[in-house]
Amino acid sequence: MSTAEYEDVSMMEADLAMTAATSARTEMETRDVSVWFGKRKVLEGVNIAFPKNTVTALIGPSGCGKSTFIRTLNRLHELIPTAALAGEVLYEGNDIYSPEVDPVHIRLKIGMVFQKPNPFPSMTIRGNVLSGLKLSGMKRPNHDDIVEQTLTAAGLWNEVKDRLNNAAGDLSGGQQQRLVIARSLAVNPSVLLMDEPCSALDPGSTLKIEETIRELSRDITIIIVTHNMQQAVRVADNTAFFLATDGNPGHVVEQGPTTEIFGNPQDQRTLDYVNGRFG
Amino acid sequence: MSSTITFDAESLPRLEEQKPQTPWGRRTSRFRTVVILAVLIPAMVATMLFWFSAIAGPIIVVAIYLPLQIIAAVLAAVAVRGTKSAGDAVIIVSAIAATIFSLIVLVSVLWSIVTKGMQALSAAFIFQNNEYISPSTPLGYGGVGHAILGTVLIVSISALIAVPLGVMTAIYITEVRGRAVPYVRFFVQAMSGVPSVVAGLFILTVLILTGVLDNSAFAAGLAYSILMLPTVARTAEEVLKLVPDDLRTGALALGSTRARVVLRVVVPAAKTGIITAAILGVARVVGETAPLLLTALKNDKTVLNPFSEPISALPTYIFTNVAQPYPDAVIRAWGAALTLMVIVAVLFTLTRMLSTKRPGK
Repeated sequence: MSTAEYEDVSMMEADLAMTAATSARTEMETRDVSVWFGKRKVLEGVNIAFPKNTVTALIGPSGCGKSTFIRTLNRLHELIPTAALAGEVLYEGNDIYSPEVDPVHIRLKIGMVFQKPNPFPSMTIRGNVLSGLKLSGMKRPNHDDIVEQTLTAAGLWNEVKDRLNNAAGDLSGGQQQRLVIARSLAVNPSVLLMDEPCSALDPGSTLKIEETIRELSRDITIIIVTHNMQQAVRVADNTAFFLATDGNPGHVVEQGPTTEIFGNPQDQRTLDYVNGRFG
Repeated sequence: MSSTITFDAESLPRLEEQKPQTPWGRRTSRFRTVVILAVLIPAMVATMLFWFSAIAGPIIVVAIYLPLQIIAAVLAAVAVRGTKSAGDAVIIVSAIAATIFSLIVLVSVLWSIVTKGMQALSAAFIFQNNEYISPSTPLGYGGVGHAILGTVLIVSISALIAVPLGVMTAIYITEVRGRAVPYVRFFVQAMSGVPSVVAGLFILTVLILTGVLDNSAFAAGLAYSILMLPTVARTAEEVLKLVPDDLRTGALALGSTRARVVLRVVVPAAKTGIITAAILGVARVVGETAPLLLTALKNDKTVLNPFSEPISALPTYIFTNVAQPYPDAVIRAWGAALTLMVIVAVLFTLTRMLSTKRPGK
């Protein structure tokens, strides 16, 4: 590891300690969330609290229901025809699944970044950043400032400031992913869900996005699914370990402060997983 | 320093009792009331006008009910979800109205063909030919057996020619990617605009009047294939383009030759689409009448030889009968139209069933 990167990581750790100390209020919380696809139960009894302005990592082997779980948090889960759900998902104390809640509003406040970068190909870089405002009908003044602020926050500004009117498809994969992060920030979400945002990226882009995540967690709550345990250590204040065994529904085996999950886990399976003995 | 929380096994009995639910389908009673009102009020206004005013029904539906329903839906949406969802309401109501309108048109066409066609239908109608039958012969004698055979023969010949050619053209455009691609694509596109009568004339002047071919099923099949080719080629091109490049590179990385990539990976991946292309090609030509009038002519006898004799097909049978001043002949034409429709429907269902088979069990 180069010196420059090492400095970044130590800065991140300092940052991490600080946010852990200042965070108190719970922004989102799930209570006994279970999920079905058709008759098959894929997730059982997930109880996690997400404190405001923290980063929570969801880790676990493939097929344990992490991605399914994260999609229940902004009501994207219900778009799958056979999907079913039990339990409660609380956002600022209210169940987002209660009938008087408009899912459009929920998705506006709880943004999401997906595994594969998905910038809109028919729009320019600038157009992509501002697309959320158009799509949601949200009115915010000073579009130029929003473009600069969000792209800066996503760590992309310096690379694209001279070609904001180029097609978004011309960017590299890592740049595209940072562009969609900027896009999701432009509508001012208070929670950002990230489903393996770095799995298709090179280490350089990954590091940049991790810096971005630490930076963003000053102002918003971030929930990130990751396969990369080092990434969880680097960015997350808290970590939840999901596991599904032999066709049983997945559940959270252990959760807590990231340092404890990786340094002093209570469950043998957690210990094995974080030490790379399976998964 | 807080420590970790492990899975709480005591919660299991509580979780056992959970039932799968779809909370996103739950509605507040306010929502229900608003929606019911938004549906009922415009319908009631329209019904009242229909009974108690002199305005014609269709005008009520288009000029009063529909705008009223859109306004009601917008108001309902605004009341339940706020001003931002007004657009949703307009689009949903317009889409439903447009769908119902197209359904009414389609069903009424279908209805008239079925009701009129059924009068002609009988075993004799399906299996007998038109020999010794005059336009005034009562229903119950004679039929479209020869024309069914004619249609099947002509369409099969054209499909045998046009489907392989069309798919190969698509493969040239998407897989071979040779230098002529832009020109090929341009001509294929231009060909899809050729009027069917021109296809018939082309075969007539180039192959029949010169004595190369007789008026026959084969000549008609050639004319049909001119019409079918662009449809098959363009549709197949579109579906081959949908096959992800990762599959091609994946196969090449296993040491495959380009021909095997195309035959073993790309074409099977696009199989459903290619079958759809073939169906669309058949659907494009099966009702075409003009080329047949110039190439196959008509024949009241059953013809099995595709090369030497004039032959009738369902479109030509409809064409000749519908122009007769005898009611029974016109009914026969409807019967033939129904037969043609059923054949197309059977063909579509069959290919759909074949094409939805998945690998393995």
